[in-house]
Amino acid sequence: MSSSTASARLLASSSLISQGAEAKVYKGTLTPGGVPIVLKYRFKKTYRHDSLDATLTKARVAGEARALLRCLRSGVNVPGIRMVDASEGILGIEWIEGNSVKHLLPSGAAEDVDGDEEVPTGLHAYTLEDYGLSADTLMGLIGVEIAKMHLADIIHGDLTTSNMMVRKASSQLVLIDFGLSYHSTLVEDKAVDLYVLERAFASTHPDSEPMFASVLSAYGKQVGKEWPALRRRLDEVRLRGRKRSMVG
Amino acid sequence: MESLSFPQFEARNSQVSVALFRNVANSGALKLRIISASTTEGDLGEAEREAVKFAFVDARLITSKLHLETAIYQAILADSQGALRTRTVHSEILYLLNPTHNITEAIRRYGVSETSTDVIVVRVDSPDVTPDEVQKKMETVVEATISPFGELENVTDWASIKRYYKLNGEVVIKEAAKNPPKEHAIIDEIVTSSVAMKSVMG
Ligand SMILES: Nc1ncnc2c1ncn2[C@@H]1O[C@H](COP(=O)(O)OP(=O)(O)OP(=O)(O)O)[C@@H](O)[C@H]1O
Ligand SMILES: [Mg+2]
Repeated sequence: MSSSTASARLLASSSLISQGAEAKVYKGTLTPGGVPIVLKYRFKKTYRHDSLDATLTKARVAGEARALLRCLRSGVNVPGIRMVDASEGILGIEWIEGNSVKHLLPSGAAEDVDGDEEVPTGLHAYTLEDYGLSADTLMGLIGVEIAKMHLADIIHGDLTTSNMMVRKASSQLVLIDFGLSYHSTLVEDKAVDLYVLERAFASTHPDSEPMFASVLSAYGKQVGKEWPALRRRLDEVRLRGRKRSMVG
Repeated sequence: MESLSFPQFEARNSQVSVALFRNVANSGALKLRIISASTTEGDLGEAEREAVKFAFVDARLITSKLHLETAIYQAILADSQGALRTRTVHSEILYLLNPTHNITEAIRRYGVSETSTDVIVVRVDSPDVTPDEVQKKMETVVEATISPFGELENVTDWASIKRYYKLNGEVVIKEAAKNPPKEHAIIDEIVTSSVAMKSVMG
């Protein structure tokens, strides 16, 4: 990005909170003293052809924004959209004051070395008790929110406990990071979405089986008549996953 | 009147003034004046265009200050990129507030009309123009006094907004129907987010 554009100056006045493979995430304000927002910046890939890169970046930003709006219209808790500069690869969304679910659940000892830890919000000492939630209640909230999203035919594409947050003010569960999301009505896509989360739970949190079972139980109640087919498909996806890992 | 600064934009577009006028007496005349200013030639035309160089927004269709500020931000951003879809940054604000790509419809719905009694006036300008000067210019064209922006909550016409944004069919809106504060918060978030992402709406 040229350093002379308005959005470049906006990023320069913001603070970097996370650096991923595809995007840098900043906390900033649109006007001095304004409410904080998150600025997700999909930076240029030097190894990609320039015009192809620009087209892909625009499509990604547009896709993420459309998924968020679709969620909002369907009553799924996600951050609101605050600004979009697709030509510069920037999506501005509501800052969620709170913690990630990953932070609030017990983690394995080897974790937290992957640089993926909590953003400096001043809430790093917060625990589930501060939110008035039990682990089981939280699992229920997760199941319900994913079910609402799937009922709207949105596949998240990257369900992990770091892509879910709990709002400090309301203890509401909020899904974030729709960078890999897409629209689909297929049972298969929904089942894979759940399987991805199951694997994420298993690799991030010790003793995750009963936790994920609570997620599924709340999910099943919320999706209603589609649940038996989804559960069967999830079993198939698990079996495929296991076979794949045996083959290597 | 409230002022906002956006130092990331070039000076001519970095200072924004916003005021809510209630009980506006001359909205019909104001609308005619805006229309004729755009076609009047010569020095008189220049002076008239300067006199009405504002976005005059029908306050009934605004859900919150954030909703309006989001349209203002995206309008200035489009201007800074040479990407305006209308003639000026001020008309762009009206365009962005409307959920469709139809400019005439946007101005008819969101602009001032004979029936407007509550009007939000927006000026995007350089910080060289003082807030006092801007306020005087607003008060010269609008026959009303400025009210606190918080009075917007008595003005918003939620039914029209739901119709324009086709929200009546959404389950989440139906479920919140018995709880107006909740319903309004949901609608406010949907329309604010829609304005923010209009450039990639598809
Ligand atoms: N709306 C928000 N409010 C507060 N913090 C947020 C918000 N969105 C993102 N974050 C923080 O920034 C981190 C990165 O955001 P996000 O997951 O959207 O980006 P990403 O580049 O796709 O990340 P990754 O590749 O690590 O998954 C999140 O894990 C979260 O800690
Ligand atoms: Mg993420």
